[in-house]
Amino acid sequence: MLPKLKQILHKADADYADIRYEIKKETFITLDGKELSNIGSTITDGYVIRVLKNGGFTSVSFTKQGDAEKALKTAQENAILIGNTIEKPFKLAETPIIKDTFIPSLKEDPRNISIEEKLELLRHYNNIPLSHDKIAMTNMRYFEMSREKYFLSSEGAEIHEDLITTGIGGSIISKDGNLTQNVRVGAGGSDGFYTVRDLDDKFGQRTQIAIDLLKAKPVKAGAYNCILNQGLAGVFAHEAFGHFSEADIVESLPAMREKMQIGNKLGNDVLSIIDNATMPNQLGFYKYDDEGVAVREVKLLTNGVLTGRLHSRRTAHEFGEPISGHCVAEDYRYAPIIRMGTIYIEPREKTLEQLMTELGDGLYILDPKGGQTSGENFTFGAQYGYVVKNGKKDRMIRDINISGNLYQTLQDITAVGNDLKLSKTGGCGKGQTNIRSCHGAPHILVKNVVLGGI
Amino acid sequence: MEKLLDMARKVCDQAEIYYCDPTSSEVMFQKGELHDIESQFQSGMALRIIKDGKLGFSYTKNLIDREEFLQNALESLKGGVQAPYDFPHTSELPNLKTYNEHINDVTSSSMVENCQRIADVFLKNTDAEIEIVAYKEVLNLRIINSQGTDLHSKIGSTGYWLCLVYPGGGAGISRVYEEKIPFSISRNILDNLVNMYNDSSKVVTIPGGKMQVLFMPGSMYTLLWRLHSGASAKSIYEDISPIKNDIGKQIVSEAITFYDDPLDTESTSARCFDDEGVPTKKMDIIEKGVLKNFFYDLNYAKKLGAQSTGNGYRASMWGGDTITMKPVPRLAHPRIAPGQKSFEELIAMMDKGIILDGVMGAHSGNIPNGDYSVGVSPGLYVEKGDIVGRVKDIMVAGNVYDTLKKVIAIENKLHTCWGGRMPAILFDSISVSSK
Repeated sequence: MLPKLKQILHKADADYADIRYEIKKETFITLDGKELSNIGSTITDGYVIRVLKNGGFTSVSFTKQGDAEKALKTAQENAILIGNTIEKPFKLAETPIIKDTFIPSLKEDPRNISIEEKLELLRHYNNIPLSHDKIAMTNMRYFEMSREKYFLSSEGAEIHEDLITTGIGGSIISKDGNLTQNVRVGAGGSDGFYTVRDLDDKFGQRTQIAIDLLKAKPVKAGAYNCILNQGLAGVFAHEAFGHFSEADIVESLPAMREKMQIGNKLGNDVLSIIDNATMPNQLGFYKYDDEGVAVREVKLLTNGVLTGRLHSRRTAHEFGEPISGHCVAEDYRYAPIIRMGTIYIEPREKTLEQLMTELGDGLYILDPKGGQTSGENFTFGAQYGYVVKNGKKDRMIRDINISGNLYQTLQDITAVGNDLKLSKTGGCGKGQTNIRSCHGAPHILVKNVVLGGI
Repeated sequence: MEKLLDMARKVCDQAEIYYCDPTSSEVMFQKGELHDIESQFQSGMALRIIKDGKLGFSYTKNLIDREEFLQNALESLKGGVQAPYDFPHTSELPNLKTYNEHINDVTSSSMVENCQRIADVFLKNTDAEIEIVAYKEVLNLRIINSQGTDLHSKIGSTGYWLCLVYPGGGAGISRVYEEKIPFSISRNILDNLVNMYNDSSKVVTIPGGKMQVLFMPGSMYTLLWRLHSGASAKSIYEDISPIKNDIGKQIVSEAITFYDDPLDTESTSARCFDDEGVPTKKMDIIEKGVLKNFFYDLNYAKKLGAQSTGNGYRASMWGGDTITMKPVPRLAHPRIAPGQKSFEELIAMMDKGIILDGVMGAHSGNIPNGDYSVGVSPGLYVEKGDIVGRVKDIMVAGNVYDTLKKVIAIENKLHTCWGGRMPAILFDSISVSSK
């Protein structure tokens, strides 16, 4: 594969060029209720060329090898157009030139397991909720995706890395009269099929939550002190804070960039946030990003002080900060953009019990249900929760959506637990989808959170 | 494609090939300056086969080996996905004008020039952080099947996405404009956006409670997703729709007529056949508040003993690569019928309330049940008919079937927005929460 790519790259007339070719193999099974609605395996492939010329930096993606010259020409023309229009030319930060092949070692390679076995396993889990009469529907999915990536740059980088992601999950929908409720269930990872085994208990617990939610009361709109469980606090780390650690986002928002200067005190002393995609056996693991930079641990927030940022080579140069290896694409259809790898809130000493006592009266809210950020403001849903009275869990609540301001919330996180958990499934949609987006946290205590109710 | 179809026909009962080849480019301005240009030349093909009532499926980006491609589809037959339906025989469709060769006059340079002109107006008249995207896409779509159907459509569109971001906040006033031919955005439209931005630049704090909320077209997808879920044949079949038994009943205000209009050539995505080759038609889902129809693809129509309404599309909630998806019931061209009031009149009618110019978190919450609870992004505050500022840390919440009963007035115009073409709608007594 590499010689073919070299030939294409050789034709580039540019200050810098790179090419990435990917073969993407997917296996998917979908059950809607008891019905199998989708099953199969497919292979697709394609190319992305990036060109730095005349101070402009552009990309073209294409699927037919015969389009390579047209793609190069388009990229070069667009780069010249950019270069002629902008005042400050784009440059890339220096990076070590890497020649490497990295094939991750898997515990049970999902590609060696028959599709029949996968279907049987999915049916088995799916039957756990479906055996209850209050469960109206399930939508369950098994998926595995392998990206076989070849990267070549005009600087001499030659990298082949494979990413194999496995996952099982979906939603469980309960129904009583006209009221429906749903909860999500999911597991998986980057290091083999074992990550989707032994999930009976998990499916059982999620089913019970879906059933209990039919009797839960909608939460009243207002501001509350809340404990967020690990899944939800992880979404906060990702949505509210993490996206503003991505240099390409902050770069486009000058006022935000001003506030997000390295060294600025943004959060409570108890709060430290780290991105570390080098952690083995986690969903977010990878070795090289899609511009050939080795990913490294970045301490983003340390005791409330901003200490690092996630970069591409271009933004690292623009900010005058070290490269971090966080420029990642969804697949061969896209040029890479800056993405979090494994972002988490660093655990402290407190147990959940201690946090509950500290909370006194408030809410305990659990598990994410989608989130979104818009500048300093964020919104995300919790799947369920409990009223807490005098440090004790009381009745169940539902329809929980919280909204907040990043800077205020960083201050309002007043206590951090000791029980870090990282997510097993991901799906960040910043223009492209990143199914390996991994986030986590211990339980955290947040003051004065706005809940929308319904 | 014909050769592949012939091969498939020999080993299966029925076969269908879907081909799509989008070519696109996108010019991005950040902070009012040119930042990036990205182009895509994509193509791909999806094969569906039916044999003994079972479905086989495969897709590819490069048709290098027909045998292997067909083999993948045959392999997936083993999964045993039921296919109780037949591919349609469709011919003699109207000729929709979805492609105008003048689209070729849109070049990277012309897009850069137009964006620069917009950026200059915004930079001169506001303190906003300006983001602009201009884009162009041309695609060929072809569907052939073993029943003799051979349909082709060429679609060309170009457009702009503009956003005036409040400094520091990240939220901003954003709009989409789209046409089939080269166009620039009128100074009048730009000035109106500038005024709206400047009028709302001050942050105001308000108490929560029930108040008037004006949903802008760009926020309507919050409601649309919930209605979509309720009226989809998939939800009816799965018995999770709260309006399953309500055909013929008044379910929302009689001011609301909600319909699908695939043949509307005002839009850039008009289609006379869906992604399964079934002819499309204009169809009311809700007419004057009364639930009229659900929408079907071939599969769920057969399961429910109905006819496909021409709503089988290869799509998901988030878009995605069409060849990789199988058709599902989808309203691809939803509209809410315009009302009587101009946009200015709607604002003048507001005593105290919020203009929901954009939302955050429309995808969270209990969609099948119709519940929504979204952050404002941004929310403009109106008092006595004037925009007096914007609100932050505010959530707007409700249930779509309840909200649509509280219509005060509907704008007299439809705007292209994410998901369809919509008017702005003013609602009464919507729950708003704040700190």
